[in-house]
Amino acid sequence: MSDRTIIRDGDVDTPVVAEYEATRRDLMRRGLVVGGTVLAASSIPTLLNVRNAFAQGETDAQILEAAIGLEQTAVFAYTAAAASGKLDRGSTAAAKHFAKQEQEHADGLTTALQALNGTPPPKPTRPDQVKGLAQAATSAAGIVKFAIELETMAVAAYYDAQQKLRDAKLLQTGASIMANEGQHLVVLRTVAKQNPVPYAFETGETR
Amino acid sequence: MDVDSFLRDPVSRRLFFRGSGVALAGGSTVLLAACGDDDGDAADGAAAGGEFRNPDVEILNSALDLEFTAVAAYRAGAVLLKGSVLAVGRRFLEQEQEHADALSQAIRDLHGTPSRPKPTYDFPQLNSQTDVLRFANDLENTAVAAYIDAIPKLTTPKLRGTAAAIVTNEAEHISVLLGALGEDPIGQTPDAFVVGEK
Repeated sequence: MSDRTIIRDGDVDTPVVAEYEATRRDLMRRGLVVGGTVLAASSIPTLLNVRNAFAQGETDAQILEAAIGLEQTAVFAYTAAAASGKLDRGSTAAAKHFAKQEQEHADGLTTALQALNGTPPPKPTRPDQVKGLAQAATSAAGIVKFAIELETMAVAAYYDAQQKLRDAKLLQTGASIMANEGQHLVVLRTVAKQNPVPYAFETGETR
Repeated sequence: MDVDSFLRDPVSRRLFFRGSGVALAGGSTVLLAACGDDDGDAADGAAAGGEFRNPDVEILNSALDLEFTAVAAYRAGAVLLKGSVLAVGRRFLEQEQEHADALSQAIRDLHGTPSRPKPTYDFPQLNSQTDVLRFANDLENTAVAAYIDAIPKLTTPKLRGTAAAIVTNEAEHISVLLGALGEDPIGQTPDAFVVGEK
């Protein structure tokens, strides 16, 4: 697994990619990003801030705050997807199920953060607070693509966190959540008619 | 103990990764400080004087044994698989072998000696594709449980990342296997926290 970051072509304009690259390079220079990640450029605007918050977290509490923010974003996105009317019955049920599991992650992480005297970040309450969601929610294919990007980013963030968290139980919790996000990816990739398990090492990289 | 007994005994599964003297992450901080840094060079003592043995080597070798078992199981079960399920089995076999190769290299990087596959494995009698899928599912769950136990004991941050990446891959295998056994997407993702114990 390399420490190199590669941005592939996607739906994002050049300034956004440049911003991501600059931020990532700065984090790498400061030693705050441990694992290399290759991302589809289209995933950048949605979760750039969340992923960077993960990468910048220095303490367990800071990493937990970022993780809760990511899970809350996922809950909001899956709930919106389920209510969009664009998914068939089975996919709607899956979206509701995934929203419930993301909420379980958020609840578990919030309990851990509160034990460290931390305060969880505010939840998103409007679609415009999750960049790219409104555009994605106009079709089933767009929703699935957005969800794949969301889960891929989550896996990458938890992969990074494994190398920074210090508490033993948080390390285990993070790995068990990362594994669940990987299982979500299996379902989503299957719907998108992609290889459901393309990588022996699921790091959130796309190659 | 044969593989079937091992799978049915959660205590054995937990003991699998519980090598003597392997500390949790908090304790490992002290150990790493004594050895210099935390960037994966904790085995330097072993290279220099032979008195310090990196505890990660023992954990990685236990993981390697599990991967060899999985490779052997997918190889043994392939004869009962058909069509698209056979293709899945072959892909998973290749991925377990990739895990084994990476773990072997990591052990060598820490100046340890990687385990070798056993000459034979005592698997339960498998008579159908469904038997193979269920057995593979059990093996994958065992692997997930073992890696989740092991992660906080690994002293090298990059190895914790690698172990988590393998856990996630094994969890993905479980979802595919459950799908092949007839589960819908909700049944393929039964637990929000995947710890490998059912």
